[in-house]
Amino acid sequence: MKPTISAWMDGECDEQGRPHDPARTVADDELRNAWTTYHLIGDAMRGLPALSPRFTARLLERLEAEPVVLAPQRARVPATRVRRTVLSLAASFAGVALVGWLAFAPLSGRSPDTAPAALASKAPVPPARDTASAVPPAGTTDYMLAHQAYSPGMRLQGIASYARTVSDGNARRGAR
Amino acid sequence: MMRAAATLLCLYAGSVFAQGAPAASEWLARIYRATQTLSYRGTFVYQQDARSETSRIVRLVEGGTDMEKLELLDGAPQDVVRNGDILKWYLPATRTIKVESRGDRRGFPAVLPEQLATLEENYTLSLGELRRIAGFDCQEIVLAPRDRLRYGHRLWADVQSAMLIKAETVDENAAPIEQFTFTQLTLGGVTRDDLRLRYATGGWRIQNAAVTKARLADRGWSVGAALPGFRKVAEVSRRFGDAPPVGQVVYSDGLAAVSVFIDPRPGGEQFRAGLARMGVVHIYTRAVANHIVTVIGEAPAASVQRLANAVEFHAVR
Repeated sequence: MKPTISAWMDGECDEQGRPHDPARTVADDELRNAWTTYHLIGDAMRGLPALSPRFTARLLERLEAEPVVLAPQRARVPATRVRRTVLSLAASFAGVALVGWLAFAPLSGRSPDTAPAALASKAPVPPARDTASAVPPAGTTDYMLAHQAYSPGMRLQGIASYARTVSDGNARRGAR
Repeated sequence: MMRAAATLLCLYAGSVFAQGAPAASEWLARIYRATQTLSYRGTFVYQQDARSETSRIVRLVEGGTDMEKLELLDGAPQDVVRNGDILKWYLPATRTIKVESRGDRRGFPAVLPEQLATLEENYTLSLGELRRIAGFDCQEIVLAPRDRLRYGHRLWADVQSAMLIKAETVDENAAPIEQFTFTQLTLGGVTRDDLRLRYATGGWRIQNAAVTKARLADRGWSVGAALPGFRKVAEVSRRFGDAPPVGQVVYSDGLAAVSVFIDPRPGGEQFRAGLARMGVVHIYTRAVANHIVTVIGEAPAASVQRLANAVEFHAVR
């Protein structure tokens, strides 16, 4: 089983020519540990710094708890060099985590307290070191504002329809 | 919910309008007319999923003046003011003003018959019950979607003035996913002074969308397969802050709209492809030819996803 994990990471099939079944990895503790270990080995070999314990688990908790909003990073948001490094690391992890999250059943129930995370989803954008934040708040809200200018809802409800954009922006806006 | 289900069942069985009462389409025409002619001030509540926001709204239609103001009463203060075709979103927290232009600049009478025809292709209209809301006797109008590419709507309009008092967007189970309701409303008696901002905005940062008409086909972009029931209503180039211009194509079915944004990909930045949801709005993001294509609209996921996947790029020689 574990050789197939290694093969899967290299984009190969097993001896029978079958691609690895991701669902089995998710469901099996041993396979999941193997996945984590092999990636750790790979990162060490590439000289990437180790992340904190339970990084992925905490990232997945936060991703699950977030009111999912996916939009491109807007170029005007400045990022420090440290943040960029952490973000690109997180992106590679999060890319895997996100693919897993969309494709498989959520791994909820394993994580202890999700209540604080759920409350946090309504809070302003977390500080820079929190790499679980998906998007700068202005991104999607700007698209919404641009979109609503053409929406027929404006004809029916007038400016009241903008409550949709404005209130959402308020819910996701962080301190700048 | 039961009432909505019953209403929709009657609709599919073939409802019969009360003799002498205006048909549902005539009610819609009355509502549209009211939005063009009535001045009012009031307080309304916007609800989406578990979230609820209260706002104040003032509208003035008088002589050459066509203005309205939305003032958010919950959370950080914000105002959206429309004067004619110019929309300004005031954000006191960041001392920013975002300037937009309203899309549909054609005169009201010219728009309506065409819009109603498109609407009736995509929704079945029927009348619901009478109900008292915020002190107004209202007639319910139901717009049931003809397919799963759009949501259903329930509207409640004042019997006397046809002012829209409450509006609800419902999913395929007729469950409400978004709601606007006036809790207090006064018709008439509005002056320009009521539309003034309560704070000074000198020295604020102004972000102008600088919208211009565009033909994205000239740059190699096309939408391979149209979304059934949705027609292209706008095609522009615009700016978000200082970033390079973004293309936007808007499709509408008469009641809902979906926008396709085509953004030259910022150098080296990561982005997350896929689907997200904010209440009635779905957003789908994918990369095409070094651009980020974002489709956003108040329609079910299938519509947004389908349109996004139909976007193609063929380099222009």
